[in-house]
Amino acid sequence: MDPIQRLQPLIQFYRGRRRMPSVRELARLWGFRSQNAADKLARHLIARGFLAKDTTGKLLPSRFFYEVRILGTVEAGFPSPAEEELGDTMDLDEFLIKNKEATYMLKVTGDSMKDAGILPGDMVLVERGVEPHDGDIVIAHIDHAWTLKYLRKRGRKVWLEPANKRYKPIFPTEELKIAAVVIAVIRKYRDE
Amino acid sequence: MLQWSSPSFANTVMSEETPLTLHAFPRAILHIDGDAFFASCEQSRNPHLQGKPVITGKERGIVASMSYEAKARGVTRGMRLFEVKRLCPDAVILPSDYETYSLLSVRLFAIVRRYTPEVEEYSIDECFADLTGLRRPLRLSYQQMAERIKHALDAELGFTFSVGLAPNKVIAKIASKWQKPSGLTVIPGYGIHQFLKDVPVGKVWGIGPQTAALLEKHGMRTALQFARKSEVWVKKLLTKPFYDIWQELNGRYVLPLVTVEKTSYQSIQKWKTFTPPSRDRDFVLAQLSKNIENACLKARKYRLAARGAIVSLKTQQFLVRGIEVKFSRATAFPHDILHVIQPAFAQLFQSDEEYRATGVVLLRLEEDTMRQLELFEDTLKIEKFSRVYQAMDHLREQFGKHTVFLGSSYLAHRFAQHLGARGDAPERTGRLFKGETKRKRLAIPMFMGEVR
Repeated sequence: MDPIQRLQPLIQFYRGRRRMPSVRELARLWGFRSQNAADKLARHLIARGFLAKDTTGKLLPSRFFYEVRILGTVEAGFPSPAEEELGDTMDLDEFLIKNKEATYMLKVTGDSMKDAGILPGDMVLVERGVEPHDGDIVIAHIDHAWTLKYLRKRGRKVWLEPANKRYKPIFPTEELKIAAVVIAVIRKYRDE
Repeated sequence: MLQWSSPSFANTVMSEETPLTLHAFPRAILHIDGDAFFASCEQSRNPHLQGKPVITGKERGIVASMSYEAKARGVTRGMRLFEVKRLCPDAVILPSDYETYSLLSVRLFAIVRRYTPEVEEYSIDECFADLTGLRRPLRLSYQQMAERIKHALDAELGFTFSVGLAPNKVIAKIASKWQKPSGLTVIPGYGIHQFLKDVPVGKVWGIGPQTAALLEKHGMRTALQFARKSEVWVKKLLTKPFYDIWQELNGRYVLPLVTVEKTSYQSIQKWKTFTPPSRDRDFVLAQLSKNIENACLKARKYRLAARGAIVSLKTQQFLVRGIEVKFSRATAFPHDILHVIQPAFAQLFQSDEEYRATGVVLLRLEEDTMRQLELFEDTLKIEKFSRVYQAMDHLREQFGKHTVFLGSSYLAHRFAQHLGARGDAPERTGRLFKGETKRKRLAIPMFMGEVR
């Protein structure tokens, strides 16, 4: 049986109970009589990256336990003949999102960043709580609305720069409130 | 002094400055509480709402949560919305977006779990965390850990949390409430008494108005006066839960964190109000049917089956009438239940009454093993049903709740649950990306308002 198939009962368990099984439950899930056998297989799967464990030895879910469907673009997790190689790949969630708890999305309504390739209707992934650098695209609040602009820093001077000739740079008069930094822009063209 | 006239006070006055315990943190328990959580979720994602009195709960007709700006204007939780409009005409009243609040709640717990696996998810916006023993591995003092956790929460969720660090849950609760919003209060064991002298005994977590009244009769107004009572007296006069609280007030750790997630239920309840109210028998039955479907869905999710149910109807005069129905076998199929409750519904429903809500409680839940079929049961039929519902659950998982539903619920699905202002949907449901549907959205909180 290939590892992905081995994981299926664990994934089901994890989705149902929101926790990982104990060794005893593992044995039951795999239909083993011996907990030792279950532990051995678990260790084998951990060594190959299909499972993980924490410092106390408790099982942790690996990336195979999460659904890629969240982003609705690719179906991942199918069994592959080259499964040994899968440990070095990542799914789209991992690729796009570094800190899951701090990532938010927004839907662009204006065209002030069109020359940066950000158009009305686009989905923008942003991260809160990270230090914004010069040249980052940031989301700031100006006059009770979000604004999406390039952040420019020269010495002590900080300003926001649009990517559209029709708009002027914004030189804040008060403290600039930057809520988050843009990580990615997603545009979906077809949905069938 | 006045206190000398009352002998039970004499002791207290003399030992006002004596610590209750000499230890600092035999255990280090953190209590974390979101500041005006629902309203903050709304304000943090929409700059248009910042600095304004924001209220959630539009769909319920009462205040579910209010921002600090609204609190300052005298708005309280549970207040009727028409009163709010009179008191605070510029209030922004929003329908609850529980999907977003839940997404942020999950994030709250996940961030705390970066530091310790021992987290009790006490409610949607509150948790306890046990930090005991982490000083060496994290190379941080308990206070530094609390600061880090608070900082991560504030920065990554975009609004503030109040945090209390103490040797146990009862004191940690007092600590987190001490300074709000955005407070961080540390109460080591030897400092407990300095806080308790200003806390009315009825404000202690777990002490209700009845017990507070009893304690006041015995001359205790503050939590400190209660904590100073002798162990013998407390054990004699009060029940175990209050003895536990007394022990915690004295710096002992007796109430453990409940860190296992809830995977089973004693009963499952689904209540739904609809506007406008209705006298239409079929419509009211459809509402009940929808509730039964939802309750069964939840039961099946946890692999439970019910042996009985209470169905109830609420009239426009807020009178509730319910009837309990027993099942011959445990089931989680709405088909079965709808069939059995027909006579009960006929008895409950009065054609001259106007109804505003229906509800169902599934009772005596047991694990759904499907093995103990009774002798004369139609095994084949049950088997067939379980396949039908497996398919329905699968469809729902893939395409969202209510993708398929019973014909008997149809009338309840034809329109929104509330027509009129109460029926306003959260803004998020009207802002979809290609690939999202009304029934299924990305599990990432969305910033709202204009994005220029």
